[in-house]
Amino acid sequence: MTEHKIETPKERQNRHKAMEAAAVLEKIKHDFKETPKAMEYFYDLYERVHCKHEPLHSDKAKVGTMCIQVPSEIIHALDAVPLRLCNGFYTDDEIGSDLLPSKSCPLVKATVGQFASNNFSDKPDIVISPTTCDQKAKSGAIIENMGFEVYDMEFPRTKESHESREYWRRSVRKFTKDLSNNLNTKLSRKKLKDAIKKVGYAQHLYHKLNILRKNATSPILGKDMFLVTNAFFFDKIDNWIDAMEALANECEQRVKDEVAVASKRSPRIVYTGSPPIFPNLKIPLLIELSDAIIVADETCSSNRMFNDMVSVDEWLMYDMVDSIADRYLKGCTCPIFTKNEDRKRRILDLVRDYKADGVVYQAFAGCQVYEMEQRSVLEAMEKAGVPILYLETDYSPSHLGQLTTRIEAFIESLKNRKRRQ
Amino acid sequence: MKRIRDFINKADIRKFRFWLQLFFFVIFIYGGYFAINLGNSIPVFSCGYDREVGGMCYFLPLQHQLARPLDVLFSAASISVLIGFVTFLLWFIIFNKAWCGYACPLGTMQDWITGLRKKMGIRFSSYTQPQFDKLKKIKYIMLALVILAPMGVGMGLLGGEWRTAFCEICPGRMITPLFVGDVSQWSLDFSTKTAMILTTLGLIFTGLFLIGSFFKKRFFCFFCPMSAMHYIFSDAALLKLKKEGDKCTKCGDCYNVCDMQIKDIADDVKSTNILRDDCIFCMKCVAACTEDDALHVDILNMKLFTSTKGGFAKRMEMDKLEKKDD
Repeated sequence: MTEHKIETPKERQNRHKAMEAAAVLEKIKHDFKETPKAMEYFYDLYERVHCKHEPLHSDKAKVGTMCIQVPSEIIHALDAVPLRLCNGFYTDDEIGSDLLPSKSCPLVKATVGQFASNNFSDKPDIVISPTTCDQKAKSGAIIENMGFEVYDMEFPRTKESHESREYWRRSVRKFTKDLSNNLNTKLSRKKLKDAIKKVGYAQHLYHKLNILRKNATSPILGKDMFLVTNAFFFDKIDNWIDAMEALANECEQRVKDEVAVASKRSPRIVYTGSPPIFPNLKIPLLIELSDAIIVADETCSSNRMFNDMVSVDEWLMYDMVDSIADRYLKGCTCPIFTKNEDRKRRILDLVRDYKADGVVYQAFAGCQVYEMEQRSVLEAMEKAGVPILYLETDYSPSHLGQLTTRIEAFIESLKNRKRRQ
Repeated sequence: MKRIRDFINKADIRKFRFWLQLFFFVIFIYGGYFAINLGNSIPVFSCGYDREVGGMCYFLPLQHQLARPLDVLFSAASISVLIGFVTFLLWFIIFNKAWCGYACPLGTMQDWITGLRKKMGIRFSSYTQPQFDKLKKIKYIMLALVILAPMGVGMGLLGGEWRTAFCEICPGRMITPLFVGDVSQWSLDFSTKTAMILTTLGLIFTGLFLIGSFFKKRFFCFFCPMSAMHYIFSDAALLKLKKEGDKCTKCGDCYNVCDMQIKDIADDVKSTNILRDDCIFCMKCVAACTEDDALHVDILNMKLFTSTKGGFAKRMEMDKLEKKDD
């Protein structure tokens, strides 16, 4: 007689998430031609973590981070693992919807939802919540009320002034001390130096791969790039580095052999706006399934996470910590800052540098700052003669049809434009 | 050609700079022993009080020349003054402010003191922005002293001891001769009240120089009148520090390594010529820049040394990872 088991809510949630993840992975793996072989590692990683819910870091202290601004170098140097908790699951988004205002950002809702269900394969021991956007800052307190240990890390909303730089440096110094006490680990000069170099090397590998996309025949599609950078949120850094070495080498060879993942006529797209986080790769997939290719991006789940590197003048504790602090503030183009000339310049530079034909700007419905910046970015692009498509989306699988139509129309117009030139 | 360029862009600028600074230090301080004499219009503080000087700081002869009576100064007899000035300009125009970062013996000494501090693991200090904005003006006051004090003597308004007033208070006068074993400058001149005040100030500034440069990178250069003088003519120089603002992400890596705390290097995305009056042209900013071609050093509009991602990673030792057995 077979035993009937009633599914617990947790199991049900995991089943839903696994279904969500598997569906997207299937698309990523099979709907495109010429996928690099080294991508297998990443496909497998996502399957293990998001479909089978295998824990990766049972042997180490886990520090959850709510935003890109938490310095991973310091966490690594304290022998802990940084886990970025920004979440892309619709299943969690729905849970979070009950706890947050209806017009909140789906990313924040999904993140809070995951905490509400307390369902982690790698459960963070402490959560670091930088005071970036209002929704993230406030959800820190909500999560704390659920019984998690939350550390608020103060982050300035301007970055040009001398005061903001000093303020953030102090905030990072304090964070370093507090985390060291919390984890009961002493930070040494050697460990911090090694951590800076290791993260720096990971960034170097990212750049090595990323600049290959400047070629007329880009060796890798945007959907794979998003998957690779997204894996940096939770993977073991050493494994990630090994996989990235293999991928960068393979892609270098592909450029030499002129292996193309898209046709020569495919419009080249720069992707900007709210971060695509697995499995919410809806828009990148729609773009690339409509015969365009994403050659560069300006998002915090990908390029912004790797672009600016730590530069240290004197390899002593004080200068290392301060230099790390600068990396996370000065070059950041997050829309939470008051002014954002930097972001516009950055997008334009990417368009020029990666010879893009157009820009796709996604804003999550409810991400007020991205929605607010939309007009000024559109104006700047128009002035520079760069076609841009603005999309407002959320995590729900509905209104896919409308999105597809708009994206296809945009890409078709880019193709026409290209043909005329 | 591409390989040579690649080699230069990935060069370890610190080592290159250390050896070049040592080379110039020997030439300027000990040049006399090798019968080297590059004249006396050198645009760096290679002090003329050093008896073995291999090329003299332009300010010592300049002050003497300017102390002539006005009618002599503006007559044909002063053609030598003009020649001295033109020679100074010619020297300067080739290397621009790189004289400060690579050749100035007083600058080199400060870098060595910085090296000592680093060895001791003591942190450096820096100015806040308002302090910086105020202090940077001092060098123009110093330059006014260099030019106006001797002219005052020439016009009979000031006593003869004002002739080389700046040299009297310059730390170079007391420190540089020490390297050839000459301690004669370490004394106070009690002949007149002015001389006493000036030499006392000199002693104080020397003390400040030694202590200041221990805690603050290139402490003295903020106040250096030669730096101010350079800046006046820097637009005409052949060597240029250029910035392409479009490529800059304002990450501040350049500002972070800048010994002179020049904020414009990171924040100004409009100027193409990014050389500022405090700059010592050490090129550390170019070496620390991660964006391809955002900062570069040009000679006659040709890129001599440019920022590259690869060069950055190599210099920061981020281009490979020492694998350890865990």
